[in-house]
Amino acid sequence: MTFDFYLIIESLPEIFGGIGLTLQLLFLSAFLGLMLAVIFLLMRISGRWYLSIPAFIYIYIFRGTPILIQIFVIYYGLPQFEWIRESVLWSVLREPFGCSVIALSLNTGAYMAEILRGGVLGVDKGLHEAGAALGLSARDRFLYITTPIAVRLAIPAYSNDVISLLKATALASTVTLLDVTGVARTIVAQTFAPYEIFLSAAIIYLALTWLIQRGFRLFEKHMSRYVQQ
Amino acid sequence: MNEIKQQPIIMLENVSKFFGEFQALKNVNLTVSKGQKVVVCGPSGSGKSTMIRCINRLEKHDNGRIVVDGIELSKDTRGIDAVRSEVGMVFQQFNLFPHLTVVKNLMLAPRRVRKTSKEGSRELAMQYLERVHIAEQADKWPSQLSGGQQQRVAIARALCMKPQIMLFDEPTSALDPEMINEVLDVMIELANEGMTMICVTHEMGFARSVADLIVFMDNGEIVESNAPDEFFENPRSERTKFFLDQIL
Amino acid sequence: MSDLTGWWDDYFWSALVILKVFAVSLVMTVILGLIGATAKLSKSKIANILANMYTVVFRGTPELLVLLIFYFGSAITLTAIAKSVNPSIQFLDIPPFWAGALGISLVVGSYATETFRGAFLGVDPGHIEAGRSLGLSNLQTLLYIRIPQMWRLALPSFGNHMLSLMKDTALISVIGLEEIVFTAQMATTVTMKPFTMYFVVALIYLAITTVLTLSVMVLEKYANRHLEGT
Repeated sequence: MTFDFYLIIESLPEIFGGIGLTLQLLFLSAFLGLMLAVIFLLMRISGRWYLSIPAFIYIYIFRGTPILIQIFVIYYGLPQFEWIRESVLWSVLREPFGCSVIALSLNTGAYMAEILRGGVLGVDKGLHEAGAALGLSARDRFLYITTPIAVRLAIPAYSNDVISLLKATALASTVTLLDVTGVARTIVAQTFAPYEIFLSAAIIYLALTWLIQRGFRLFEKHMSRYVQQ
Repeated sequence: MNEIKQQPIIMLENVSKFFGEFQALKNVNLTVSKGQKVVVCGPSGSGKSTMIRCINRLEKHDNGRIVVDGIELSKDTRGIDAVRSEVGMVFQQFNLFPHLTVVKNLMLAPRRVRKTSKEGSRELAMQYLERVHIAEQADKWPSQLSGGQQQRVAIARALCMKPQIMLFDEPTSALDPEMINEVLDVMIELANEGMTMICVTHEMGFARSVADLIVFMDNGEIVESNAPDEFFENPRSERTKFFLDQIL
Repeated sequence: MSDLTGWWDDYFWSALVILKVFAVSLVMTVILGLIGATAKLSKSKIANILANMYTVVFRGTPELLVLLIFYFGSAITLTAIAKSVNPSIQFLDIPPFWAGALGISLVVGSYATETFRGAFLGVDPGHIEAGRSLGLSNLQTLLYIRIPQMWRLALPSFGNHMLSLMKDTALISVIGLEEIVFTAQMATTVTMKPFTMYFVVALIYLAITTVLTLSVMVLEKYANRHLEGT
């Protein structure tokens, strides 16, 4: 059994092709997930039970079940219902890409909501009081005082979550999508060379992880420029 | 001694406040006139901070009435933000917004609450920074300033809203000794310009020279209140005497 | 609901399978985490480098990919080895149960390494010195002083790792383990009700993670019992 380097070089272009899909899944889900997270965060901290309880339930369900199952329920499960098949969303819901993005967004949204909540809770109470004492409305306090500071506090946990999201995109290959993992599996099925191919795929993920971490570190540095050194 | 105008601008009537089982304020009665300088002193836990925090409703009183500048503070006060913009507060921990430069700290409230323009509020901010003698630090981050400098910025920030009343909650207690005077000097200037002030502090020298009225609190009650000379020379209550012995 | 009659016991037994995988993986994860953490904290440069490589590689690689490499890779390797020994063997692999358990343990173990490392650093050095001055050896200090104290600090984060581990067991179905996802797939082909079947899977996982979360809360209270009242 030999390690076939030539095979790696041959298949790299094909595997690279998978990066496009991986990145699409990543960016789209991260973006939608963030929107969801902000909405659910606001619901959670609103203080009104009819908003915070549903938010809590959503977060609880999506953090308590595996992403794979969430993808399967949406992709395989929803077509069970006729009203889904006849609805206007069907064009999105019958595609593995649409289902994967929805599942990933919902999942990451739940995690991000908790991360943002941790950031909000980390803002010094005294700063709220100072804002209140100046006559700033609750909305203005949240926008101009809480949010900038909470975002900075949340960055480390947030970057970890984005990396988890990157790894979760690999699960899209289980519903036929040809992302990096999906392409790799196809090639392995043809060539029976799991080590070489999967290792190449792993290297690609590691490179992407490194890039994401770099990016967030720079962002954190920028946001922390006012912190006492 | 400043001429005291007889219009009450703050009135506390039989005010009580509970934190769970613990009663922090017991039937407090206080009237402050426009232009009056009141110093509140007492041992820790006496309710001094709680009382002034009730005045701008950072704490909600449970019983009694509080009237500030003609507006009664109650559960229905919709205009609480409006009341707060007329009452400035300076905190022991300064509470400057760390993510904004000094000048932006001052500009935030005028822009958002009074809808002043960006240029207008910047001008206003620089004016007050001059007044507390710290204009050259305008574009620095709060974390780059010393405690005394930060507190002066905090005072300027409160003044930018042109409040009728200034509340000070132990403004020098968190400062290193050598910085206390720079802050007290600013407060003395403010007093001399006619600002209505309520100041919770341990700085008795300041109290003696600036206050029109000294209020001594212990255990949630106002034990004694008097003009400074009378207060220091002829304390009426045993508790007051005990306290004065300890700190003077 | 009637769609599920007859399937309940299948779900039950396959749920036991994932619980077994979880239990095995938990043990492996703790061992890997402890080894990794002590390697990172040791004075040996080689140990440091190896441990660092371990955490970087496995924190950045998707769990699914690790499982795939393990399962298919080991199959190829083992088959090749077996063939060279006994040419009549066509195919030899590690059972998906073990390949899967090892795979997810390696990934979660890399996170546990970081958690344990941080927790070890949080143990009061004074306690360690006290142990040494009493005559305890390195190993004894590790077992009787450092690990018990480290656990308390590691527990909140480790609780999260346990939850991840539990949810990762679902991935092992991809390499062929016959557990609840497999049951759902089979049931779907018969009943044509995929939503119901997969929803049950989700509920089972939710129930298990709830129990886990509550257990961690109880454990945290227990670990901190000597601090109550401070």
